[in-house]
Amino acid sequence: MQVQRPNVMTRSAFLRTLGAGFAGSAALAAAGCGSSNVHRGGSGWKQYSGMTLNFISENTGPSSAIAANLKPFTELTGINVNISQLVLTSVEQKVALDLSAHSGQYQVIYADPYNIMAPLSHGFADLTPFLHDKTLPPLPKGVGDFVPTQLLAAGRFGDKLLALPYDCPTIIWCYRKDLFQKHRAAMQRDLGFDPTPSIKTTWNQYLQIAKWFNANQNDVPYGTGHQAKQFTSLNDDFANVLWAYGGDYFHNGKHIGMYGSTDPGPCTLDQPPAIRAAEFYKELIDVAHPGSVSWDWNDLAEAFGDGLVAMCPCWHEDAAGWFAPGGLGDKVGFSPLPTGPVRSANHYGGTGIAINKYISKDEQRAAWLFLVWATSPQTQEAGLFSKVGGGTPTRQWVYKMPKVQRATKPPSDAPNMIPYDAVKLAWEPQNIGLRPKVPYWNQCDAVIFTELSKMLAGNKSPADAMRAAKRGVDAAVKGKSSGV
Amino acid sequence: MSFELKMMLPALIVLAAISIVPFFYLIYMTLNKISLVGGTGISPQWIGLRNWARMFTDPDVGAGWITMVIFFVATVGLEMLLGIGIALLVHEMVWGRNVTLSILLIPMFVAPVIVGLLGRFLVNPTYGMYAWVLRTTHIFTGNILGGHVSAFVAVVLMDVWEWTPLIVLITLAGLVSVPDQVIEAGRVDGAGYWQRLRHIVGPSISGIVLVALLIRAMDALRYFDVIWQSTAGGPANATKIIPLRLYEVAFQFLDLGYAATIGIVMLALSIALATLFTGILRRRGLIG
Repeated sequence: MQVQRPNVMTRSAFLRTLGAGFAGSAALAAAGCGSSNVHRGGSGWKQYSGMTLNFISENTGPSSAIAANLKPFTELTGINVNISQLVLTSVEQKVALDLSAHSGQYQVIYADPYNIMAPLSHGFADLTPFLHDKTLPPLPKGVGDFVPTQLLAAGRFGDKLLALPYDCPTIIWCYRKDLFQKHRAAMQRDLGFDPTPSIKTTWNQYLQIAKWFNANQNDVPYGTGHQAKQFTSLNDDFANVLWAYGGDYFHNGKHIGMYGSTDPGPCTLDQPPAIRAAEFYKELIDVAHPGSVSWDWNDLAEAFGDGLVAMCPCWHEDAAGWFAPGGLGDKVGFSPLPTGPVRSANHYGGTGIAINKYISKDEQRAAWLFLVWATSPQTQEAGLFSKVGGGTPTRQWVYKMPKVQRATKPPSDAPNMIPYDAVKLAWEPQNIGLRPKVPYWNQCDAVIFTELSKMLAGNKSPADAMRAAKRGVDAAVKGKSSGV
Repeated sequence: MSFELKMMLPALIVLAAISIVPFFYLIYMTLNKISLVGGTGISPQWIGLRNWARMFTDPDVGAGWITMVIFFVATVGLEMLLGIGIALLVHEMVWGRNVTLSILLIPMFVAPVIVGLLGRFLVNPTYGMYAWVLRTTHIFTGNILGGHVSAFVAVVLMDVWEWTPLIVLITLAGLVSVPDQVIEAGRVDGAGYWQRLRHIVGPSISGIVLVALLIRAMDALRYFDVIWQSTAGGPANATKIIPLRLYEVAFQFLDLGYAATIGIVMLALSIALATLFTGILRRRGLIG
């Protein structure tokens, strides 16, 4: 086992670890706070003027916003940036070939922690030396300004900082506020508890609320919907329940989610908490909208937006679509996901941007300038309000800006900010749900979602599905299998 | 070097560069571990026949082949039956034949990836038109892409919808080449429609139908787009045919050596199938 961290991490331990890991760099970067506004420029920005960088990214909101507004960076540095935006699987393939062949075609890489960073960690430059390099502009507000859990999950692999947090979609509880208000008294009477969604609501109560909606009203066809297609989305959805029930993919799962590991040890999906989670998940999908088993995350967001379900665990950035003109708008509410026997777990799906190790030192330094600019509070603020998209900021400073705080209440120019109260709680160390950062995650993921799909189809019992998933994951981790 | 060889040399070099060399390299890859995961890089590591041993004992590859065979028989069989039937009907039309044929051929010009998306929308349990029709007529009330059998039938029918027109087109080409005099002679001799079909038209178009079968059979073996878009192989692997498994191993798991092994077997089967059909065509004297 390469993960040499204590088994249990309290909030204070987490903050200590974070602080120790980045103390030097944070102090150095914080020292540069006076010149933290990248848009004002300063020394060191122009040293690679004339260079061209290629940035490969998933077609996400932040990249669309940056692509539409590259002029400030080019004016600041004189560096041209070509942005290729592709679906994630295509990004994975192109980056894998580029890094494996050491061809250096892409200098800046959208490094999904699970699908790109963990399997290809050898190909990314450690960013720590750049943080300490006084000949380079400082990171505005310092590295400590990133949401701490995101910095670990999206940035760290082993003892290295390989990426800076760039986007942060997170699965939270999205619900029809109008329907919950309308039926609150009746539900409370029938169910015996206050149904208003909150982190204190339990998964069992969520199930009862879903059943109540199925049986007692005609506003929406079903109570709950899920992204349970035989695809990555299924495992993403299940993971929330798995963690809430105290299960995990590996021992030290939370640490492997933050620091990664090349040898995570045996899979723990056959343990009683995981089997109980699977049993509950099966029960949940059985009462969910029947379309759930053929929906991925896009379909689920669309179904919720079309009024087919009263609630669902969904990526929070889908709010942008629901708050668009003609959408559900103010009828939607957000909460962290329910609590299981152990905790509330909210699946974090964010990504960082990283620098290709197999390029020249000058290119790496130029790429660092882009990383600093692209993740700066000013650029994130601009992206948040961009007309072409924009994600959710990964910088805490952005959330303190008055304009951004105003955007948390509808009507908002930045609808991704509306779920902020819920995601802020979801990102707390005790609430965040992190997949394991292991090199063979793609295989493990395929094994798990296939077994879950068999379980949902009734081909296997939850216990058998979990045991089969454990065997498949163990084989994949040992490199003996290519999945299912 | 002979004059002929010199003349052919440029073409041979191009052929070697784009086909022969990659083919032999593919075989070489099957004997190596080439995984892009974990920093081993693109350099091959010699492992002998381990990829082959693994493939022949991999239950998921086996399941993929079984699903593939059922899919192959269902799609190609339905397309041949429907294609020949529709072609015979169109051939009998006195007026409006060209318009009908033009309309019938439209699905063939739709990109397979669009067929997958379209199929997914049409069978969506909430807003899909086909799902609505089946539900309101009580023929099928479940989620079409959510059940094993219904999802499998759906992807088969998506392929049949797209490629039956090709069989219609090829069969029609065969039907118009049957001499009218021969048909007329049969009619004068008192042969009914079915007798003429069985003893005159059938034998006359059997060669071209075989060509149609060959084309579709080769295509069905590398079927991917529609399933990937509509079910991604699910639910519970019910639609996971071998090309999906190959894609997964190569481009998601980045295990290129093992993927090459699966790919070589697919290639060998395609060649075997083509050889079988061309052998039949040769025995019938339809090709040289």
